[in-house]
Amino acid sequence: MRRLPFAFGLLALLSSSPAAAEIARIKVASGIAAIERGSQRLRASPGLQLLAGDRLVTGKDGRMSLTFIDNTRFAVGPNSRVSVSEFQYDRTRQRGRFLTRVDRGSLAVVSGRIAKSNRDSMKVRTPNSLLGVRGTKFVITVPQ
Amino acid sequence: MNRVVLSLAALLLGGCATSSLVLLPDDEGQPGSVAVLESKGRPTDAVIADANSRTKLGAATPVARPLGRKGLKAGEAALVGGLPPPAKGFILYFEQGTTTLTPQSQAVLGQIRQELAARSGSELEVTGHTDTVGNEADNDRLSLQRAEEVVGWLASQGFDRSIMTAVGRGERQLMQPTIDNVDSAANRRVEVIVR
Repeated sequence: MRRLPFAFGLLALLSSSPAAAEIARIKVASGIAAIERGSQRLRASPGLQLLAGDRLVTGKDGRMSLTFIDNTRFAVGPNSRVSVSEFQYDRTRQRGRFLTRVDRGSLAVVSGRIAKSNRDSMKVRTPNSLLGVRGTKFVITVPQ
Repeated sequence: MNRVVLSLAALLLGGCATSSLVLLPDDEGQPGSVAVLESKGRPTDAVIADANSRTKLGAATPVARPLGRKGLKAGEAALVGGLPPPAKGFILYFEQGTTTLTPQSQAVLGQIRQELAARSGSELEVTGHTDTVGNEADNDRLSLQRAEEVVGWLASQGFDRSIMTAVGRGERQLMQPTIDNVDSAANRRVEVIVR
């Protein structure tokens, strides 16, 4: 029983290292543009590092753009809510999995190495559809 | 009368309020494609492959329609215009076994500085590559070690360490294709990717 806290601590340590890996960086942000991470809300600004699970949220004049470590590029339009639900990438083998959810607003995408690595390894979910990205440049719009 | 106007407005709004996918040609002019794997929870076989097309999402059979002369809506054009520039790669060669750049690579270092300065929120990925001498695991280790050395060296040259990442790609991406166990100076290189 006394050993439990230590075991839990170790588990937390082990599981936190891959989860805390950088997946993207904000390039440009304007207006109300924020990253929601759990209960945290961070102002989007150039150079800010993103983690898997982050939500990209903009207000009515808000915009942001970002580049992922697999070279995927995003531009998020006003009044948007976009979540990077899953992002796994092996930088040595250049393979991975990438799931983005567009709840509302607009998102322009140029896909990168993950989309090239395996068929439908990059997916985008909208409220009524699931898309398999086979390349490369597209725009998703989800009105409120 | 008011009710008619209201319901008309609702109809019009309803007409606009459909999720859509616009497929564009990529930077090389290739059309690309996006599969609609599910629509309203049901699997579909639709693959959208027409460049410059718009597809309403949510239909049982999604159909791509040409953008036509009207092209992108203003909001969409602004969005596409706001995409970050593509990643750009530079190759550095070093004198064998040293962190001394070959004379040709000195100039490349200047180009990397310029590219970094021209971008907002820029970052560097330093990727090491080996030739095919030795086994894969050793080459993975060696290429990462090499990349880390170069990150350290770039930091000493004034590059911000917090924007740099070292990656080892081993012998997976040969510059000069060879069979296994071939010594090749062209393949022993470091690629610097600016994003």
